Amino acid sequence: MKISFLIHSAYAIGGTITTTFNLARALAARHEVEIVSVLRNREHPMLSLDPRVSLRSLVDLRQEKEHPSHLRPARVFPRAEYRYREYSELTDRRIGEWLAATDADVVIGTRPGLNVHLALQAPRHVARIGQEHLTLDRHPPRLRSALRRAYRRLDTLTTVTEADAAAYRRKMHMPGVRVEALPNSVPDPVLPPSDGTAKVIVAAGRLVPVKRYDLLIEAFALIAADCPDWQLRIYGKGEEHDRLRRLVTDLGLYDRVLLMGAVTLMEAEWVKGSIAVAASDSEAFGMTIVEAMSCGLPVVSTDCPHGPGEIIEDGVDGRLVPVGDRDALGAALREAVRDDEWRLRAGRAARKNARRFAPGPVVTQAERLLAEAVSARRADRPVLRERPRVSRVLAGQGFAIRDTAHSAAGGVLRVLRRRG
Amino acid sequence: MNTDREKQPHAGCTIGTDGRITFDLPPGAPEGQQLLLRLRPKKGQPEKTVHVLDLEPAGERRSAVLDARAVLTEGRWDVYLLREPGSERQRLRAGLRDLRALVGGHLRRWPAPLAVRTPYVTKDGHLAVRAWLRTAHAEADGIDVTGRSMTVRACLHGASLQEGAVVSLRLRGAGATVRTVEPCAGDDGRSLSFTVDYAELAAGTPPGSGVWDISVRPAAQAPLIRVGRLLDDLADRKDVVVYPTADFGGVALRPYYTVDNDLSIEVKGQP
Repeated sequence: MKISFLIHSAYAIGGTITTTFNLARALAARHEVEIVSVLRNREHPMLSLDPRVSLRSLVDLRQEKEHPSHLRPARVFPRAEYRYREYSELTDRRIGEWLAATDADVVIGTRPGLNVHLALQAPRHVARIGQEHLTLDRHPPRLRSALRRAYRRLDTLTTVTEADAAAYRRKMHMPGVRVEALPNSVPDPVLPPSDGTAKVIVAAGRLVPVKRYDLLIEAFALIAADCPDWQLRIYGKGEEHDRLRRLVTDLGLYDRVLLMGAVTLMEAEWVKGSIAVAASDSEAFGMTIVEAMSCGLPVVSTDCPHGPGEIIEDGVDGRLVPVGDRDALGAALREAVRDDEWRLRAGRAARKNARRFAPGPVVTQAERLLAEAVSARRADRPVLRERPRVSRVLAGQGFAIRDTAHSAAGGVLRVLRRRG
Repeated sequence: MNTDREKQPHAGCTIGTDGRITFDLPPGAPEGQQLLLRLRPKKGQPEKTVHVLDLEPAGERRSAVLDARAVLTEGRWDVYLLREPGSERQRLRAGLRDLRALVGGHLRRWPAPLAVRTPYVTKDGHLAVRAWLRTAHAEADGIDVTGRSMTVRACLHGASLQEGAVVSLRLRGAGATVRTVEPCAGDDGRSLSFTVDYAELAAGTPPGSGVWDISVRPAAQAPLIRVGRLLDDLADRKDVVVYPTADFGGVALRPYYTVDNDLSIEVKGQP
């Protein structure tokens, strides 16, 4: 199979990029794999990409930031998408042109807006897999409506958790589309696991409000005096940096809470710690939780929708605490610091339990989904065949809806074709 | 898209508590028999010091060991792959650096002279080793900053506190103004703390701004020992550990770690 991933940018650091690179690397062993980055702002990706995976970009911001078409708003990329402002008439056109000409058997979209492109613009013979790395319940209603129209035209939609897959099945009418949870895969660790003795608590992720590093720092402040010599290291960069720096300063924790900046190879950083922590209000999956576990760290996390609860077994390989509860988070961290025996045991369990997210099982599942979508396309039928009685009704609805979606998109496509 | 950078080989490394570094080339890296470490020269200066290490096969990988006894001059050392002895060198990109043995290094007692090495990644992604070589060292364990002063807790390695020990603050630049502070010595002869009064320091700084470098003179007539934070896994702590700025009558004072992880105080503004 020739497999193409369509990604917002392959040139930054984040969960979607990491998991896309991981899956691409694993698929490259048996397939021809390329990653198509809509935007590019630097010469090389920050994260390392397997040399067998080819990489191309559609809009190079280093030269095309001021391109007249890039200054005009996008019309295919949905307005309600989080990254709408970064998209333009130029990205609409380049993505459309690339899709029209692709020789891939299957294209995998990696965010809602790109899944919409795929749904509306992929040629008939190309299988369309939409990946949702975010969660339906967190999408604004206007985005949900846009997706409700477009996602029916996908072959398969993957979410990163069972909970989110269930939400799509329940709330979106997508006849014929397979909806399945495909967890993020985390490569097998290379380094020996943490021995659980270093007095370091580690957190990693973009410094954005939803990650609640403010809550984490405040929770650490509660235990700093009782846990002498323990350090909290926060890896990542982002808009919250200066605010978090001020918080660390105001709490007098400048020698204890270290804002480490972004690091590309987190594995070497996890193994320096004994406990990992995540304080997010919402976590579509929680790649860093699995990464930390695979390095032998128990993870103290908020039990936020949807990922952590599907990854961590409370008390066994980590702790789940209520969302936004500073005291509970502090108490769980204090217990993890003080109870050496539990920490070591939970760390070993974490390493073992993280194996279900190893590339092996996840890639097998991904290959099955891709092959199924490709053969359905070749046979010109939906991926999911409903039971006969139901299928007549659903199919009828499906066509009507498909037509509606098509007519909505048609205008845009005509505009694009004229500009050609 | 295969660019030169992606073809550049990666090397990881592991460091032991004794400072021994094992460099590791993954399978598939280009042929090569040796690694070369070179002390990065100052701009415009020729390169002077190199270490060459033999690569040995280790399963499908290859490794080279920089022995704990090999003395690295203080500075930044870049790491290259040599295809064969004397051949053209190829810079190595940084792979996984297992530095866990360095975490908590300040809790150990270091013999003199202190040879500290921290493998790190350069801004452009290459593997390098930060080395410090000091006859003795004063490790800053922590600083308490108030609006009026700062109190530093430190611990001597390779020296002990004697009668007449002082903390010396030396103003950078011509003239070399020096101020001294009495340290408070711990019972072990190694640990000490001292407080720098911001009002006095602000008054003692010439109009404009200045930087005061902090050292300990462990005994009368003994050489100065620079205070810094070298004994862990952080090669660059300037942007990681940031102390608050005190505003003192229009003068801003702030302790900070220099690019060499030494402790200094910056004074800014007109008194």
